[in-house]
Amino acid sequence: MDFVANLAMGFGVAFTPFNLFMALVGVLVGMLIGALPGVGPPSGVALLLPLTFGMDPTSGIIMLAALYAGTMYGGTITSVLINTPGESASVVTCLDGYQMALQGRAGPALGIAAFGSFIAGTVGVVLLMLVSPALAKWALSFGPPETFALMLLGLTTVTLLAGDDPLKGYISMVFGLLLAMVGYDIISGDARYGFGIPEMMDGVDFLPVAIGLFGLGEVLADAEQVGKPPVAKGRYGLRDVMPSANDWMRSRWAIVRGTVLGFAVGVLPGAGPTVASFLSYTVEKKVSAHPEQFGKGAIEGVAAPESANNAAATAAMVPMLTLGIPGSATTAIMLGGLMMWGLRPGPMLFEKNPQFVWGLIASQYIANVMLLILSTAFIPLFVRALRVPYGILMPLIVIFCVTGAYSLKNSVWDVGQMLVFGVLGYFMKKLGYSPAALVLALVLGPLAERALRQSLIISDAGLGIFFTRPISAVLMTLALLAIAVPVYKGLRTAIRGRSPS
Amino acid sequence: MHKADRITAAVLLAFSLAFAAGGLKYYPYWGEGGPGSGFLPAWLGGVMAALAALMLLRRPRGADAEVDWVAHGEGARRVLALLAASVVYVAALKLVGMIIASALYLAFVMRYFERHAWWVIAVVALLAAAANWLVFVHWLKVPFPAPLGI
Repeated sequence: MDFVANLAMGFGVAFTPFNLFMALVGVLVGMLIGALPGVGPPSGVALLLPLTFGMDPTSGIIMLAALYAGTMYGGTITSVLINTPGESASVVTCLDGYQMALQGRAGPALGIAAFGSFIAGTVGVVLLMLVSPALAKWALSFGPPETFALMLLGLTTVTLLAGDDPLKGYISMVFGLLLAMVGYDIISGDARYGFGIPEMMDGVDFLPVAIGLFGLGEVLADAEQVGKPPVAKGRYGLRDVMPSANDWMRSRWAIVRGTVLGFAVGVLPGAGPTVASFLSYTVEKKVSAHPEQFGKGAIEGVAAPESANNAAATAAMVPMLTLGIPGSATTAIMLGGLMMWGLRPGPMLFEKNPQFVWGLIASQYIANVMLLILSTAFIPLFVRALRVPYGILMPLIVIFCVTGAYSLKNSVWDVGQMLVFGVLGYFMKKLGYSPAALVLALVLGPLAERALRQSLIISDAGLGIFFTRPISAVLMTLALLAIAVPVYKGLRTAIRGRSPS
Repeated sequence: MHKADRITAAVLLAFSLAFAAGGLKYYPYWGEGGPGSGFLPAWLGGVMAALAALMLLRRPRGADAEVDWVAHGEGARRVLALLAASVVYVAALKLVGMIIASALYLAFVMRYFERHAWWVIAVVALLAAAANWLVFVHWLKVPFPAPLGI
């Protein structure tokens, strides 16, 4: 089996001292970023991406993937201890996690989340390893129409799931596509909307945009809050976080269900860890013999969503690696990183860069073990990090935003661009727009445009080409449904003259 | 929030129409056997105009009316202060250099927002500057603007 040989090669890559170090750095920084309210996984990946430019791409992706897994757990710490989710996939954990903390059971809540994350993350990597090569092989037969249809589906589903106002989601997404039009056209070479400014003619780079929207924008929004929530008191030594036998009995099926559901949801474009965590919480409450305990400190209410978000974060790598379609803002930024490192995302990645893909897969196993150790034995360290005053944390994040945006091309122009998008990000957050949809559209825009134009060149029936080829027809229909459903709902409420609250 | 939405929609409508018109005027809509570089800008501009028009015309959503999105008092003061400091920081990059501008920015925010003691500020700013230099200048070899030597 070449799959065993591939995995062995992957472990060979992952076990080099530098890559082990990168995985450790990724997990540690990820946990810290996850634990800090305001900065979530997309900001973490965007902020650390500039550090990887000088590295081998494999080391770079190992760090970023470990960071993504780390943020999923780090967010739990704040959800449980201060009832403030560090990132959106841990929002639902607050419900029962904080209640457990109030009852003096913060330790087991954090512990079961750590073990659930480990199990789900590890099973997720196994599934990733089994599913991806087959999917990549299948996707090799995709032509430009299928590629375009897939990208459209990714864009519309992310937008649909991004917030509670689909219209604002779509406006954010189309705005991202408009930004993607700026700069040299890949087919004709026209410098579109350059206004004679060399930096504009080069196009709008996604990295300063992502750092601005997710880094500076979040910091500005956080600056508005006056005062800090108190940290729940408790003991978080290794013995205190070990769940009891009873805790295990209650949580085991929750972890299994969370893992399976999380992976299934995570593979879909658009539905990432956040959706997975909410869904698994709902399922758990439905199947539970004592649903009345949910929201009052039920340990299943922590175990299920925490398993689901880690499984989903791993699963989100499947479409990114095999199809070149990111399913979320975080994987969109990773995909942008892949392109910056000079790799071509898509089905060929498995054939052309086996070291990269299998090194990443193997390192994910290692990162999960590191995550388990750090998240059971070193919780007091992260609790202390929560006590770093905001007045120090805020400027440090901004400094990181500035240096990161600068080091992309050693350009102060990019820093200015980051600043502008930081302000835009602040207003987008306040007014209910979706920065995630904007960034995804900016990354996918040029790829989607090329696929669309190539499709129309080979087509002799105009747009018909998207509906005469079976795979593309199915994908297009799904994408159009994702547009039609909110339009239909919007029209219906407009006719009734009342919006549901 | 509804008023803010309408203003945003009006601005977006004007912007997207200009975007589409510019696309049609300056870049070819159809080229050799396929769409040209003006094809997608024109269509996207059109789609955005339609979305903006929809937002301009729709009734206020019940949930939105209650959302007070503008920061007030202390919160507003903090956001504006941080933003102003960040703008000055970026503007000063070429004048005093990355490392020094970053340290000064850190010191200002620490003092203004939380009134840390000066010696704490000095220690944190020096540590941050050293880490910044070590990672970006020494390790990653990023040529930071450094008119004053560092």
